Amino acid sequence: MFKNMLKRSWLSIKRKLGRTIILTLIFFMMANLVLAAFIIKSAVSAQMDYAKSTLGGTVSIQADMDKIRENQEAEMKNGGNPGEMFKNMSRPSVDVKTANEIATSYTDYVKDYSYEVTSSANSNNLETVETKGFGGKMAGGMGGMPGMPGFGQDSSDDSTLDADITISGVNAYAYIDGVENETITIKDGTYFDEDSTDSVMVSYEFAELNSLKVGDTLKLKNIYTEKEVPLTIIGIYDSSEERADANTVYVNTETAAKFLSSDEYNSGNYDVDNVNFYMTSSDNAEEFVNKINEEFSELAENNLKVAVDTSEYDSISGSIDSVGSFANTILIIVIIAAVIIITLIVTINVKDRRYEIGVLMSLGASKKNIIGQIIAELLIVGTLGFTLASVTGTVFAGTLGNMILEGQTTSSNKQSEQNFGRPGASMGGMPSQKGNNSRSGAPEFPGDDMPNMKQAMQAGRGEEKIELNINAEPIDYLLLFVTGYLVIILALILPSVSIMHYQPKEILTGKE
Amino acid sequence: MSTKKNILTIENLSYSYQNGEHTQKVLDDVNIKFESGKIYAIVGESGSGKTTFLSLISALDKLQEGDIKFNSKSLKKITGQEFRLKYVNIVFQSYNLIKYMTAAENVEVASDFDNRKVDPNKYLEKVGINPEEGKRLVGKLSGGQQQRVAIARALASNSPIIMADEPTGNLDEDTEEKIIEIFRDLAHKDNKIVIIVTHSRRVAEKADKVLTLRRGKLS
Repeated sequence: MFKNMLKRSWLSIKRKLGRTIILTLIFFMMANLVLAAFIIKSAVSAQMDYAKSTLGGTVSIQADMDKIRENQEAEMKNGGNPGEMFKNMSRPSVDVKTANEIATSYTDYVKDYSYEVTSSANSNNLETVETKGFGGKMAGGMGGMPGMPGFGQDSSDDSTLDADITISGVNAYAYIDGVENETITIKDGTYFDEDSTDSVMVSYEFAELNSLKVGDTLKLKNIYTEKEVPLTIIGIYDSSEERADANTVYVNTETAAKFLSSDEYNSGNYDVDNVNFYMTSSDNAEEFVNKINEEFSELAENNLKVAVDTSEYDSISGSIDSVGSFANTILIIVIIAAVIIITLIVTINVKDRRYEIGVLMSLGASKKNIIGQIIAELLIVGTLGFTLASVTGTVFAGTLGNMILEGQTTSSNKQSEQNFGRPGASMGGMPSQKGNNSRSGAPEFPGDDMPNMKQAMQAGRGEEKIELNINAEPIDYLLLFVTGYLVIILALILPSVSIMHYQPKEILTGKE
Repeated sequence: MSTKKNILTIENLSYSYQNGEHTQKVLDDVNIKFESGKIYAIVGESGSGKTTFLSLISALDKLQEGDIKFNSKSLKKITGQEFRLKYVNIVFQSYNLIKYMTAAENVEVASDFDNRKVDPNKYLEKVGINPEEGKRLVGKLSGGQQQRVAIARALASNSPIIMADEPTGNLDEDTEEKIIEIFRDLAHKDNKIVIIVTHSRRVAEKADKVLTLRRGKLS
């Protein structure tokens, strides 16, 4: 009986070709949208997970300016001398042992970490580039001019006053502030990493001024010990940042340590700046902060605070999440629309076939058998439409997903520009203060072979569009077919109720 | 060919239509027996209840009063669908064929619901439709041919009772003559109970028994 039912269904599909084509097209269009929605949702989910792991967020240890200000205000209220206070003020800093201990104690949370060893050196007979505007050399302190004492720098330290080169020691080239947003690029030569001891990168202006090239030896003198440290120039960088200090040379941390005082160098425990811990997942960041605050309470006592920065993840997750929400909305609308449209078509079809149904009933067909035939017809046509959509759905999903994403990213960037002056900039139009977590673009960075992450980070800067990695998985096809068949079943409820109320006498004798 | 005597018994059959507050009785305590091997013609004026009677005895409508039994099997004990499937097949004036099927496929449908496999050409040839014509969609056949296909379907259904409602109403005289002969053969050769509701004098003359329905009574 089932075979006969299928046979009648097949005959109806084959002989009523116009209706079959229309139904197939409807199923095809519906299935394309449903499949696209599922694929986009999967891609969004994968991208979010990926973003969580790759842009897991950064936890940095930095000066707690609010606390310092509060302390100052309290001291002033107690009759403190502002001049004396400024003189005695020390820059809160983390020592390298603490930074290392934190990183090695929480390997479940910390994927990588970086810090900066800052020092100064004299260049002997070499000329230095005249600094442009505010904030030239870092030598001698934070953000100070060459020869000016910085925050926490004792102005009586004459040796610093003579320094003309800033030594910036970071774990690897990728961690240099400015590499990610490409304000610093390699003009010649290569980059350094943790193993590139006694290698140095100099600025293009500095190299030009002193006719230096890659492979030359740069002899810099430790300002504390007067000892000369020969460094091999392995790269020449260029900076598009107007306020960049062309007299800054970049080395790895081990090399930078050679320009510290003898005491610091010998103890092996010197102060480091810009300590950043890169999280395995942004979800772990807050928990990690709590653990550091518990375990390393001395940080707070030294006016340091542990801060979370998940802005990169947040910036991309917002856009991607919107695409996911949009895909959900599409899915719901399409399912509702499909149920309504197919219900209408089947209802009209059943009405048209009222006579046929009456004939079948007069021959002894049960109503269930007749409904079964109509279900079988729709399932066959639906399967055809869904299968065709399986071929085109991935392409459609890719176009649709990235179109939505592009719209969303553009919208976010406009919002960002309105809020902060320019895309990707931090508040006030200042360059990103994320410090050394600037990682994409660094060839040696582990994530560099991960295009998604780079796209994500670029999107975070608002410079380039993110692209969803649209790939249909077997589960997407399964969901398409399950949803499609559910839509058919739902769409058949009303027509089936109508069939259940059919009386063969009314159909067959009413026609006479 | 079965020679078993089948009997369709109508007992105290009454049926009324509710027309607003007014109740119109179209069948009033009808009692009759139809035997296999005979062809019956039911005649009567328009509105006399012929079609209602046919609908009831073919289980297209529900009984109100009385009973219908095939041999000892009461229609009250089984569903209308089962009764139609097992005992009765109906031939309509408008043929009631499925348009998207060929003549042969329409005949095959008759056996779709009781899991039998039939050779449609065997039944089509019996009513004068050759296998080539059997492959054509029914819409491509003449009225007479379509009515023959409908009768072939009734034959293929293997039902012991064949009901026909004005089966020659749309046909010319020559075709009517041939169709009547087929019905006679169904009764006399195939041992079916053939009941034809008709206005046609020629059909009535060919029946073994003519019953007149008047004011709800069958005589």
